[in-house]
Amino acid sequence: MAATPTQDLPPKGGYAPVNFTRIPARSYFNGYQLFAGFGVVSAVACYMYYKTYSLVRREDIEMRSGRLAVEPLLLAERDREFLKQIRRNRDEEARLMANVEGWEVGTYHGERIYKTIPSERFMRSSNQ
Amino acid sequence: MAAHIAPAFRTPMTDLVGSVMTHQTGSRCADFEMRAMECLEAYGVQRGRVRCVDYLDDLRECTFKIKQLARVSEMRVERHRQWLMGERSSEDHYAPPARSDAY
Repeated sequence: MAATPTQDLPPKGGYAPVNFTRIPARSYFNGYQLFAGFGVVSAVACYMYYKTYSLVRREDIEMRSGRLAVEPLLLAERDREFLKQIRRNRDEEARLMANVEGWEVGTYHGERIYKTIPSERFMRSSNQ
Repeated sequence: MAAHIAPAFRTPMTDLVGSVMTHQTGSRCADFEMRAMECLEAYGVQRGRVRCVDYLDDLRECTFKIKQLARVSEMRVERHRQWLMGERSSEDHYAPPARSDAY
């Protein structure tokens, strides 16, 4: 007869009872309070957005008004500069072709560019 | 106008598509073309070639800019010739540029 083998048995009297009840998390706010908080934050944000958007629109109007007011001045300046440059081009041509025989400024060897347009008329040499 | 290509028979269809490629769409040669065409309509093509030659030449000049480009080319050649011959200094070779916010 072999000796009785050693076994891993529970202790005398059984194990102590295991506490398996649930421990829920501590909740600070209930559902209604959470929705209310969301509403409050949204309301504040909405108000701030309204104020900022009003300011942006006012600034846009001011910028647009300024630009509309200045635009005729800029166009007039551009036209004046264009005419001055045309005059400078004519003077430069006179200086350049001073020694070429038969050259009259504004013509091609004395031949007018347009036969049916009087010389005083300003024809822009652009594509439009 | 040696290059005037006209249809042999004039039908409503040729009248419809005849005005597809003209200068009349706001181009710089619209008035030139209108004067030339009105003159040709008044005199017809055969007599108009003789009577309206000024209008036709101006239309040609406006379309192809023959004399204007010839002027520019000749002035350019003259400018470089003067520089090569030493009549124009290197600083003076080109005119100063236009302002960049002009046209």
